[in-house]
Amino acid sequence: MNRRTLLGGLFAAASVPALSACAGGITSLDGEGGASGGGGSSKGGVTIGTANFTENQVLGHLYAAALTGAGVKATVRPNLGTREILIPALKGGDIDLLPEYQGALLHYLAPKATATEEGAMQNALTVALPAGLQVLPYGMAEDSDAFVVTRETARKYGLTSLADLKKQNGRLVVGAAPEVKKRQVGVVGLKEVYGVEFKEFKSLDSSGPLVKGALKKGDVDVANLFTTDTDIQANGWVVLTDPKNLIPGQHVVPLIADRKADATVRRALARLGNVLTTAQLTELNRQVDKDKKDPEDVATAYARRHGLLK
Amino acid sequence: MYELFKNLGTWLTSGAQWSGGDGIAHRLAEHLQYSLLATLIAAAIGLPLGLLIGHTGKGAFVAINLASFGRALPTVGLVVLVFLASGLSMWPVYIALVALAVPAIVTNTYAGMTAVDPDVKDAARGQGMRGHQVLRQVELPLALPLIMTGLRLALIQVVATATIAAYVSFGGLGRYVFDGLAQRDLVQVLGGAVLVAVVAVVLDVALAGLQRFLFRHRTA
Repeated sequence: MNRRTLLGGLFAAASVPALSACAGGITSLDGEGGASGGGGSSKGGVTIGTANFTENQVLGHLYAAALTGAGVKATVRPNLGTREILIPALKGGDIDLLPEYQGALLHYLAPKATATEEGAMQNALTVALPAGLQVLPYGMAEDSDAFVVTRETARKYGLTSLADLKKQNGRLVVGAAPEVKKRQVGVVGLKEVYGVEFKEFKSLDSSGPLVKGALKKGDVDVANLFTTDTDIQANGWVVLTDPKNLIPGQHVVPLIADRKADATVRRALARLGNVLTTAQLTELNRQVDKDKKDPEDVATAYARRHGLLK
Repeated sequence: MYELFKNLGTWLTSGAQWSGGDGIAHRLAEHLQYSLLATLIAAAIGLPLGLLIGHTGKGAFVAINLASFGRALPTVGLVVLVFLASGLSMWPVYIALVALAVPAIVTNTYAGMTAVDPDVKDAARGQGMRGHQVLRQVELPLALPLIMTGLRLALIQVVATATIAAYVSFGGLGRYVFDGLAQRDLVQVLGGAVLVAVVAVVLDVALAGLQRFLFRHRTA
């Protein structure tokens, strides 16, 4: 399970409970009369939804810890599924906040968007989001696509960046999830932007046991993994750099309903975004996946360590 | 819904879709190759085993329970397990498919052998037949319909499951299912699924026909 499956969920679209009628209506008890126009209020607490993979659940609990630290009552509803479920639930008011990823969210909202640089994507997201939803400033941590080789392969062919792959055209085998064959951030874009042509494409899984096993055994030379995959560090694999910005940034970004986006929430999430690095997020994922720790405990401990939570 | 079936029809019938390395003809040939080879290997393992335990009556408890265990094995799990040990090769696919097919063959062969009337076997021995003669000339012919059923069952299961070859980067009709799911191309997924179902049904009907033809003189 990973970020990419958040895009999928072919069969998942149908199952949001129909609790969505009251969003933005005259339901406010404190007399403000609805939430639209101007800032929302987090007084009634914030409900955080998370998608069906480890990292997103860790992020959801990190958000909760940061909000609790700022005095906002936060509830996490983990493992709700894919975007096809989460976005309608967010619009409908079942959840208020969602840890998202810039590039993947933009691709979901506007499949033809071309922005890949963080600032441009943030702007594009603001335009593409439906009324009532907004993204807050993105964090430092990033879970993006990466093309990875073993240290031996890097040395043998002199590979440090994606541009170097061109020198070995027709010689290297690439392993990735089936969709990567037809994706811009994949075989198509590598050819278009870097002029890279592989000897063969092997359809495996996305950053899962198959593609990593094949890379380890040398059955594929280049593998498509995620930057927060703990096995990259553990095996000393080399992530090829992307000098021409083919791969869109996937900074973690809070997607929130306007009705809850007040100054306290903004500040708390921005503080978290400013301390959490990709390496730290990777380590938190590892603690959950490999050490089998509870995502909530891992997130709370992190927030305490970094002064986000007393 | 109508649109979907229209697109499915176009997908299944367009000439371009049938030709080339990713064409239906090629994928179909791969699928049949995986299925037939796996079933043959499974038969080479399962038939002697079933005949032996059926003839001697020994080891039946162990064999049948092992077969049940084999049936309960999750095929995809087995593929990943073997993949991690063997790397990128056809081994994971064939091992998983053979493990799927052997139980059906063993249990049906055994069932066929035990269904042979003991009086008939006694009579054969009474006429001075040796053990291997009883097996070949009496038990095997009588058990053959059930043995055939086992083979048929195994082949159909294997055909339906050979889609997993695509899970570990190989071909076959599963390619359409896995690629279609990953690319959110529902028509391709359905196309692959329909083709697999058609192949399974056609093979089943053909083998049933063959069975009826071979045993046309029998009453039961």
